[in-house]
Amino acid sequence: MFFSKIWFFLVAVAAAIALTIALVMPRPAQRAMVNEEHQRITVACGVIDILLTDDARNRIDLAGSFARTSEIVGALESASGADKLDDARMKQVRGVGEGVMKTIQGSRKPDFAILIDKRGRVVARVQLDENDYGDVLAGRPLVDDALAGYLRDDLWVQNGTMYFVTASPVVKRDPPVEYVGAIVLGHAVTNELSKKLVGSLGVDVGFYLGGDTVAGSKTLALDMTPMTAAVAKLKGDLSGDCAATHPIQVRAGNEDYTALVARLPGEAAQKKAFYTVYTKRPQELGFAATLKIVRQGDLSMATFPWIIVGAVFLIALAVGIGLMFFEADRPLRRLTADAVRLAKGETERLAEDAHPGKFGSIARSVNIAIDKLGRDAKSAKKDLDGLLGPAPEGSLGTIDLLATALPSSRPGGPAPAVAAPPSEFRFSGSGPTPSGPQHPRPGTPPPRPATPPPFKTVQTQPGHTPAPPSALGGSRHPTPAPLPVPTPAPASVSAPLSLDDDILGGFESEGRGTVDPYFKSVYDQFVSTKQSCGEPTAGLTYEKFAEKLVRNRDDLTSKTGCKDVRFTVYVKDGKAALKATPVKDEA
Amino acid sequence: MKPFRVWLVSFTVVGAVAGNGLAGNVSGRLELPPPPERPPVASKGFLDRVENPLAPVKPPPVAPHLLVVLEGEAKPESPAQVSWDLVGESFARPVIGVPVGAEVVIKNVSNTARSLVAAEDPKLIPSGPINPTGPKSFRPTEANIYTIGDRDAPHLKGTVVVVNTKYIATVDATGKFDFGDVPEGSYKLRVFFKSGWIDRPDDTVNVPAKGKHEVSAKIPAGYPLKK
Repeated sequence: MFFSKIWFFLVAVAAAIALTIALVMPRPAQRAMVNEEHQRITVACGVIDILLTDDARNRIDLAGSFARTSEIVGALESASGADKLDDARMKQVRGVGEGVMKTIQGSRKPDFAILIDKRGRVVARVQLDENDYGDVLAGRPLVDDALAGYLRDDLWVQNGTMYFVTASPVVKRDPPVEYVGAIVLGHAVTNELSKKLVGSLGVDVGFYLGGDTVAGSKTLALDMTPMTAAVAKLKGDLSGDCAATHPIQVRAGNEDYTALVARLPGEAAQKKAFYTVYTKRPQELGFAATLKIVRQGDLSMATFPWIIVGAVFLIALAVGIGLMFFEADRPLRRLTADAVRLAKGETERLAEDAHPGKFGSIARSVNIAIDKLGRDAKSAKKDLDGLLGPAPEGSLGTIDLLATALPSSRPGGPAPAVAAPPSEFRFSGSGPTPSGPQHPRPGTPPPRPATPPPFKTVQTQPGHTPAPPSALGGSRHPTPAPLPVPTPAPASVSAPLSLDDDILGGFESEGRGTVDPYFKSVYDQFVSTKQSCGEPTAGLTYEKFAEKLVRNRDDLTSKTGCKDVRFTVYVKDGKAALKATPVKDEA
Repeated sequence: MKPFRVWLVSFTVVGAVAGNGLAGNVSGRLELPPPPERPPVASKGFLDRVENPLAPVKPPPVAPHLLVVLEGEAKPESPAQVSWDLVGESFARPVIGVPVGAEVVIKNVSNTARSLVAAEDPKLIPSGPINPTGPKSFRPTEANIYTIGDRDAPHLKGTVVVVNTKYIATVDATGKFDFGDVPEGSYKLRVFFKSGWIDRPDDTVNVPAKGKHEVSAKIPAGYPLKK
């Protein structure tokens, strides 16, 4: 059972480990998912930055094209030469600007345009504050750079709206080449632009100015506090914000979002403009929640290692059953078979060494019990002898020569169904019980019939007349003690004869003509008893009778090692019977 | 080249000619080195600025940021008022010189209200916005350099240089300047650029009683400033 226990221990440990893994695995998976989400949102932030940069490049190209328009160049050249700008000039230049704006279609179309002369004065505005003109925009870095000959972009905030603005110098290309002004184009940051930016990214984006929401891909009121706090911590180059910052958790109503903030460049940065890339935070997954989201496909043969799982299960089962068989079932079966042999009397004891472990202990315990019972039986016999008196002196026991040997069908009808008188054939100690007629168990008090025995006993003793039963008060048999026949002197006999060989038949032995006085005495008692029982005695000859007795005496002597055999005649079921009793001691 | 803006700046000097009435006309020219490199782009967008392919880029303007000052030993009389126009996203001149005690009047000629403040002395300018077309005045009482700006428009900045003299001249794109009539005497000539005095030996100018006196001063390369 040792290896079975080890195996069960290993299986239990494996089950515990499997359960632990099942309970713990969702957490690393959750962390992995969160990390993946962080990675995804960081990548999305970088992609949005790239898209915005790319968009800025396109807008600069657009501004360059706008500034190269000949109508724009001519209008600003004319305005730059005027000491004072008036309403008529403003409208004329605005008309030129509107005309150029109409040529731009699609998403690239600016939301406003500002036309500036070479002195930095606003000559006209298109689609935004159209009636304002004459103010000096020189001083704003974007305009100063444009007037100096640079193309660049910036972010402006006008009336609460954020604009991606680009500027380009306006150059008169006809000799003499000179700068005649600059133009500024603005694209509003809108919800549509936000949606377009994140269209294929699977995240959302929002643009913020300080604590105010400017635009976003989703109408969502995110908690501004953690976002503004995260923005305040950002230092250094703005272009590295997406990679340098860590995602934060923000709430919108009852929902949690993972967000990444990045500052916006340009003038808007001085007003704490930033954008936030965010996505809904995945739910915390426990063991049960993980099971709930398992799909049928997760358990298919293609995705789940059913073969490995099945093989491991079968191996575990086979090893367990094998160990159970070799360590429990087979030894138990052996012990059971051994016990059955013991019960059948085929063995005297259980083989202790043949049974391993606990089964050997059981065998030893049974053997100890058998030994104890033997000792108890001997002790009980002594007690019974003390109670009922000693058995006949020198007797080793008696054997009923007629109990089994005589045919059941006898003259006078079948024998009554009454137990035969005890024919003990005793051996010393607790040796094996010989098979054959059942004998009372040692230590068990012999049955004492409440009614008088249905037969009479005539006991003969060598040289004695049969004594009345009361003279044999020491007999412990419940039946009337038979009269012992005096033990004859050893006689030479030849081949033994069975009593069934019909003692009524002729006597053909070499002893013919020789009369053993003891056998003759027994013969006379037997004949007398038969006659007294009314049985026929015709054909009953002394020779055959003596031959039978000799054969039985020799047989008993050889089997029991007794010195002699004493024959007793008695009445059984109203018929004469003969019983042989080995005599241990000649004296 | 970006044109040198000299308009919208006015100095009203009361009692320009003082003392015994003897004065000489002082004018001169600064030998300007090549302009300093253009400063890094301010409020950069998503992209760096790129030069246009049609014409060379203009160098950064220098003259609007220059002032020439003659300082004498005699205590000057304070002028009544110095006007400084706010023209939109910038001042008409980025740098103005103001005698100690003169009143500086800022006129907002743009369409945008501003809230100006002196970085060196927040109490120098009365609090409150300067509405379009509205003025705001203050009177500096000691020689100093004040940076005036609007916290809502970081790009809007102007420098007020307060000096103990009323002889202050602006410089045109060629480096020329003119003080007008200056009383006879010995003066020191100092040059201011952007945010500080040029690091160079102060020239001594002896103004004669009569006639025209030409002064020439050389500006070191790179326009170094005194620390």
